[in-house]
Amino acid sequence: MVKHQHVGFWSNVTFVVIFAALFIQPFYAIAQVEERLLPSALKKLSMEDLMNIEVTSVSKSPEKLTEVASAIQVLTGEDIRRSASNRLPEALRLASNLQVAQSNSHDWAVTARGFNGAPLSNNTLANKLLVMIDGRSVYTPMFGGVFWDVQNVLLEDVDRVEVVSGPGGTLWGANAVNGVINIISKSARETQGLYAFGAAGTLLQDFGGVRYGSHVDSTFFFRVYGQRLDQHGIKKQDDTDANDDWNMTQGGFRMDYLPSSHTTLTFQGDFYGGKEDDPTASEINGQNLLGRWTRTFSNRSDLSLQVYFDRAWRNLPLAAFRDQLNTYDIDFQHHFPVGFRHNVLWGAGYRLMDNDVRNSVGLTFTPASRTLHLFNGFIQDRIALVPRRLELTLGTKLLHNDYTDFEWQPSVRLAWTMSTQHTLWTAVSRSVRTPARFDVDETTPFITTENREFAAEKVVAYEIGYRVRPMEKLSFSLATFYNKYDDLRSINVNSQAPPTFLFANDQRAETWGVEISGNFFAMPWWRLRGGFTFLDKQFSATNTSVYPGSDLFEGLDPRNQLVLQSIMDIAKHIQLDVVGRYVDALPASPITIRVPAYSLLDVRVAWNFRWLTFSVVGQNLGAKTHAEFGSRKIPGSLYVKTALRF
Amino acid sequence: MKTTAKHSAFICYPANPGKAFAGLFLFIFSGFPLLLAQSSPPKEYQVKAVFLFNFTQFVEWPSTAFNSAADPFVIGILGEDPFGDYIKETIAGEQFMGHPLVVQHYTTAKDIGNCHILFINSNDPKKIKATLSAVVNRSILTVSDTDNFAYLGGMIGFVTRDNKIRLQIKPAAAKDTGLNISSKLLRVADIID
Repeated sequence: MVKHQHVGFWSNVTFVVIFAALFIQPFYAIAQVEERLLPSALKKLSMEDLMNIEVTSVSKSPEKLTEVASAIQVLTGEDIRRSASNRLPEALRLASNLQVAQSNSHDWAVTARGFNGAPLSNNTLANKLLVMIDGRSVYTPMFGGVFWDVQNVLLEDVDRVEVVSGPGGTLWGANAVNGVINIISKSARETQGLYAFGAAGTLLQDFGGVRYGSHVDSTFFFRVYGQRLDQHGIKKQDDTDANDDWNMTQGGFRMDYLPSSHTTLTFQGDFYGGKEDDPTASEINGQNLLGRWTRTFSNRSDLSLQVYFDRAWRNLPLAAFRDQLNTYDIDFQHHFPVGFRHNVLWGAGYRLMDNDVRNSVGLTFTPASRTLHLFNGFIQDRIALVPRRLELTLGTKLLHNDYTDFEWQPSVRLAWTMSTQHTLWTAVSRSVRTPARFDVDETTPFITTENREFAAEKVVAYEIGYRVRPMEKLSFSLATFYNKYDDLRSINVNSQAPPTFLFANDQRAETWGVEISGNFFAMPWWRLRGGFTFLDKQFSATNTSVYPGSDLFEGLDPRNQLVLQSIMDIAKHIQLDVVGRYVDALPASPITIRVPAYSLLDVRVAWNFRWLTFSVVGQNLGAKTHAEFGSRKIPGSLYVKTALRF
Repeated sequence: MKTTAKHSAFICYPANPGKAFAGLFLFIFSGFPLLLAQSSPPKEYQVKAVFLFNFTQFVEWPSTAFNSAADPFVIGILGEDPFGDYIKETIAGEQFMGHPLVVQHYTTAKDIGNCHILFINSNDPKKIKATLSAVVNRSILTVSDTDNFAYLGGMIGFVTRDNKIRLQIKPAAAKDTGLNISSKLLRVADIID
């Protein structure tokens, strides 16, 4: 574990505590998103319908959201559908504990608690967030990040998106250094019937899709879907067309078989293909298949086994570079009580990643192909020290990877539920980011030399949070953190140039911040949600060969950001939904210019007539154009959308 | 138009947009709460509260369960109340065969008065067994969401599976006390023999 020898630690902790106290006192604040269902509406439902309502939203084991000792925000499917979002990364902007920035028409940087690494022509260097779509990890071992252009889901069928800021390594795996995004789609049982939509606009050229769900009998449900998106390019710094137009066609299916009330079998898959222009013309496609078997023994005991295959292929014809990744994964987990005080969750998994690169002059990996094996096992015990009041969670994950062998990721969490309205929690955890091929194998002639000794990046995170529901219709969440990073990636100047640079582990950093979020059912017809995040950080180099500005390659993050979403049914058939967001400026880095702060507004007006919804949506209003990450500018835009539900 | 906070259509601020936005946030979230006063349970308990109410429509109590026509129909909660005011809102204005529905709270099994549905909020099997034996032979529909409630001798257990609430019912336990659970309810539940 890391020792805190220098004075800065305590002054930072003091700062965080004072900051937190300032925010707690006026309102006793912290938030959590809990849907409130009207009793009168629930009473109209049949017993079967009541049994179909999803009631828990959790980490890997069922526990009440109010009791989770972590900074979790949940976006419900409704939050997303009532926003201007067409795509997943746009929807993630609704989570105020995420830093989301678009670098061109198709690429995004998304992180929690900072470290949105600088934009590259085809991706960004952000690498500290684990993202899972229905249990399938979409983190790539190539860059150590997520290719957001190919992470598309039919937003209509999203049940919720759980966003955990702070390390999730103990439960979720390596690379959940700063957070976890868990995208959960509805079961086939909940998506019966036909849904079709079509949209067109000024930036969104056209977007259309269909989903059809049906069942064979009361135990076997299925759905199929397909969607197609064509998006115009955004603007260059000089307001000319950036020519980064792109398209994506995607289809998929899901089957849920429920042979008994104890057993669920799920089988799902997606396939996609698309083309992107500028900055680097790309052809992309991918396929995935996932099977999951779950057996429930009781409220506190279940067993699940999951297997998936994922293929991602990307060809950059002009650069003559190609990347193919085949992932085979098997995971098992078991949850059971020991006495009535202990809740044990343990599991194990194995992942094989077959990465095959066709090298180009501008980007070269040595060796060109690698087969990576990742083994992991974890155990966690949730101990009710005082039942329903004081809960201690101890856990660790042990993983083995090809680069750095064994890595430990322990965590200790304590939650004190003072009453049903108040929960105070604290946590200390250690998490690692295992090396990516980009760190170890990059051998682009004249530019980079490989570093076979590249170590895992480590963080020790200290968190204190408070959740309160002062009123029935109002909830708040406050999370404060202080993170200490060691062995962070640095860009070092090679003494025997050329090649000129190599990646090493010669940076350290401290980050601290506050995340406040809230959810307020102001009126039966009006809901407000949102949050504010403050983040600051301090880097230091531990070696004189570290390239100046190396810290800015790793983290281009706003200090302050605010998101407010208002969801309103202004008349029987009319919805008026608004999202306002403010994002602070980003500093200039060696490869990007300074990005000024921006405040923008999304507005959605929709008319519902039984099975038809017609909406007019304005996105990024309030500025003709704005840059979010790098120099490209996103224009304010408008689109209209028609949706049918049968 | 440049993307600065000053010229934003969102709202106009003189100097520091970050602080101003934070101020707006605080304003919006601090003004209203005083107007409202109730506690809301997690969604899980919102749904369970409605289940408890629905049981009044799927279970027949013997006439001996009421001393007089004016007696209320009592939903008792033993232990901490996980439903808050939600359950009161659910049963407000409702009645069972002319008996108005009310909620009562009990700290220990000894406190249990004339009650028709009893929700036992405990995870301690010993305490549950003790409670069940304290109300044995009374026409009380016992409900809990502890593990294996129906196996411990309870009548209806809430079980969460795949994030959804299922019912485990032991009809024999209900029959012994003169309660008759409708086949409509049994059809959607898991029966424990």
